Amino acid sequence: MKPAPLEYLTAATAEEAVTALARFDGNARLIAGGQSLVPLLNMRLLRPTAVIDINGIPELDRIAAADGVVRVGALARYSTLEASTVIREQVPLLAKAVPFVGDRQIRNRGTLGGALCHADPAGEMPLCAVTLGARLHIVGRAGRRELDAEAFFEGPYTTALEPIEMLEAVEFPDGSGTEAVVVEHARRHGDFAVVSVAATGLPARDGSWRWVRIGLGAVADRARYARRASETLTGTRLQRTDVEAAAARCLEDAEPASDVRASAEYRRHLIPILVERALNELAGRPR
Amino acid sequence: MSAQVTLALRVNGRAYERVVESRRLLVDFLRHELQLHGTHVGCEQGVCGACTVLLDGEPVKSCLMLAPQAQGRSITTVEALAGRDELHPVQQAFRDAHALQCGYCTPGFLLGAVALANRAVVLEGAALREELAGNLCRCTGYQNIVEAVERYLRQSAAGRRDG
Repeated sequence: MKPAPLEYLTAATAEEAVTALARFDGNARLIAGGQSLVPLLNMRLLRPTAVIDINGIPELDRIAAADGVVRVGALARYSTLEASTVIREQVPLLAKAVPFVGDRQIRNRGTLGGALCHADPAGEMPLCAVTLGARLHIVGRAGRRELDAEAFFEGPYTTALEPIEMLEAVEFPDGSGTEAVVVEHARRHGDFAVVSVAATGLPARDGSWRWVRIGLGAVADRARYARRASETLTGTRLQRTDVEAAAARCLEDAEPASDVRASAEYRRHLIPILVERALNELAGRPR
Repeated sequence: MSAQVTLALRVNGRAYERVVESRRLLVDFLRHELQLHGTHVGCEQGVCGACTVLLDGEPVKSCLMLAPQAQGRSITTVEALAGRDELHPVQQAFRDAHALQCGYCTPGFLLGAVALANRAVVLEGAALREELAGNLCRCTGYQNIVEAVERYLRQSAAGRRDG
């Protein structure tokens, strides 16, 4: 199918984008890469009065590291993240996750900000944002505000973003020296994850691990940071017994649903298995 | 602000200016307004890759772009590949490897391959399959497609060394 009739506008600044959203009283959508929005338009699951193109906003795709954080503009495309040395060295989890997204063509167009605002519970970008405790920078009519990733995602395809707000940038903590692993189970190559697991941590010289964080995708109505399981691992050497205990605890943060891809029961079966795989790989043990 | 937009862009090196409906998909613009029918419409949801074109040299799915988003950009479609009397090397490689059956997916694969060669990428096997994963062949002739692209990328690299 084709999109229903709509108006098309371009915004040259974030403020202009917000003003345009206000003009349509919440019935307009911002378009960045369009890799999730345009299918919804084509299928007429969405019929906005207008789309406001933010691709022309300068600097909105900028990646900059300073003062212990890496700030990534909402318009940064997956292909830009893939090629970025800053991302590879300072947000290695994101670098590991990007290849799981879509395919070459999708990664050439799709953006970090778009994926976060789309808020697919199986999406890799929400998973990374929640796992790493990212801060989301939002512009609205009254000015700017910040939200923790965990507060930003409210449910499937639902975020705390108001209809007249725009996500401007994402700040990740500087993860220099951290190791990171993403493990996914999908029914077909390149398909959406049935369950995905992100794991990251900072290895210390004495063999113990700091700042261990585990994230779970497609196991609830939104990506989950497995806080309790992660906290039990900090300070350990990620030995097999530590890993097994943490993997079992991850089920506490899972409320999987049954859908076309898998049953809730199968997802519960997969979660500890994939968490163990991810943590063993993080610890440098072969699968 | 309008349901119509005046769109100026380059397609296969030629400048065009057309008034288009804002909701017009890039693939439909190419096919219906410019009569470039080599770019195919498959799934219209970004899965099959039959509509792949190059946007400033990089492959994108033209069913997932509104035509007005191509304002000022440069598009390459499969029509740009062959010369008057001879096939483009990537087309010749597909012919030699018998890498097409019904041909519906072929333009998308060709442009993906050309983008790799333009970036001087040489890939084979699983890594190449990963790179081409955004294109589906419903005849399932992947083995020959991968062989054709491997051959073409090797030839391109050799050409760069010699040239």
